[in-house]
Amino acid sequence: MTDLGMKGVIVHARGLTKRYPPDVAALIDVSFDVHRGEMVAVLGPSGAGKTTLFRCLTRLTRPDAGTVSVAGREVSSAEGRALRTARHDMALIFQQFNLIRRLTALQNVLVGRLPQVPTWRVLTRCFARADRQLALRCLDAVGLLDKADARADQLSGGQQQRVAIARALAQDAKVILADEPVASLDPESAAGVLGCLRAVASAGVAVIASLHQVHLAVAYADRILALRAGRLVEDAPVAGVDARAIEQIYERDGVGATESRA
Amino acid sequence: MIPAVAGGREYPEPVVGWLSGRRWRFVAVLVLLAAFYSVSWQLARVDPGKLMTGLPKMASWAAKAWPPATDELSVLLQRTAETVAMAAIGTTVAALLALPLCVLAARNITPSLALYYPARWFLNALRGIDSFVFALLFVAAVGLGPFAGVLGIALHTWGSTAKLWAEAIENIPPGPIEAAAATGASRLKVVAFALLPDVGPSMVSVGLFWWEFNVRASTVLGVVGAGGIGQELKNSMDLLLFPRLLTIIAIILVTVTVIDHTSEWLRRRLE
Repeated sequence: MTDLGMKGVIVHARGLTKRYPPDVAALIDVSFDVHRGEMVAVLGPSGAGKTTLFRCLTRLTRPDAGTVSVAGREVSSAEGRALRTARHDMALIFQQFNLIRRLTALQNVLVGRLPQVPTWRVLTRCFARADRQLALRCLDAVGLLDKADARADQLSGGQQQRVAIARALAQDAKVILADEPVASLDPESAAGVLGCLRAVASAGVAVIASLHQVHLAVAYADRILALRAGRLVEDAPVAGVDARAIEQIYERDGVGATESRA
Repeated sequence: MIPAVAGGREYPEPVVGWLSGRRWRFVAVLVLLAAFYSVSWQLARVDPGKLMTGLPKMASWAAKAWPPATDELSVLLQRTAETVAMAAIGTTVAALLALPLCVLAARNITPSLALYYPARWFLNALRGIDSFVFALLFVAAVGLGPFAGVLGIALHTWGSTAKLWAEAIENIPPGPIEAAAATGASRLKVVAFALLPDVGPSMVSVGLFWWEFNVRASTVLGVVGAGGIGQELKNSMDLLLFPRLLTIIAIILVTVTVIDHTSEWLRRRLE
């Protein structure tokens, strides 16, 4: 619990390093903290290590070196039950939304409650009133209360992503990890989704989102982390960031093998 | 408009030689196929002459079969009900047994590859042995009657259904499952809530197909003594009771057609 000694730190990453054989360094000694109520944008060209960073934060990938703790729980070395418990505190948002197509928006939000709901209720799809009310409140928070009964595959991309955010809220996560949440959305829907994440962060959740557009990061995030060739090259509040300096990390200058990784 | 090319020159085309590798392979495949069919023809003892002498015999039976016998209609209908019941119970038992096994046999959600491979082998073994053969064995073990047929159908359909279900599960997009698993929910909850809605309709569709298939298959199970209308069919043929045979064939045709259409209608409603 020492990590929580620092006030409001939710995600605490130190010295994260990950190599893929034979000689691709996806992450090199990456350290940062993310606080409660903060929205952090991760920027960097393809192959800079953004996806590997997210996979290490959620322990879908085990880092070669370094540690991650989320809400005071060690994640990077957790296994089995300990890992499942640690994952309760983090919610994932995906580029492809990953809703269950044939279920309604409300049922998709209830996915966030699965860990706590008794198994028989899951098997019979008969959720307690308290859980249903909580899920409806989450849908209301993302502005989709009127779509509660719509099937997921009948919603637009932006709406689906907002349902995914509601699912994260229903999970009562301390941190939301969004890997390219708006990469497959039109600008208007993207603004809706990022506005939603912004509001969620302001309500006290830590949000880490990887983005491709610097102007979106500047408009919605509190802080920018910039990765390039696996190294953290910038970690600064949006106010103090020179957008042009950030643009420079996207310039091709032959950084080598890491550039080819998707 | 196709853009004009300066000078109207001709484009070089890929050259295919007269006896290129591709042509050779084509000829070789044709020769192999011809050899395969001529050997098969010999092995199957195909003899159109015999058919020519046999056809008039069948025609005379057909003439003798009219009018169809109706005196035993109630017995025959009861036997038909037996056949449909055998198929229904056998298929349902198979589906219940297939449910846990298809999870093990689906590569994307199997708890471990150490279970995946044995599950696949087991299912392939069940699938490889026809319900007819199983029924033959069970008649020897549990005695004559429809129960032997039920067991035969259940075992063969268990393997077939679980394999098709596992394939349906393997074909679903992994994202939603990953998202549900990422909340920290247990495997059972993820399978029940995130996977089932996606594959459920195609699983029911597969189950209906096998019920329909088994009604057709179980009409012959009686031939090995496993009960149902097939047994009456065999008896009538042995005793050369052609009017009775005609009635039985007509009943089978009507039953199978009704069930095929019902099942097809149900399956279409699931889409």
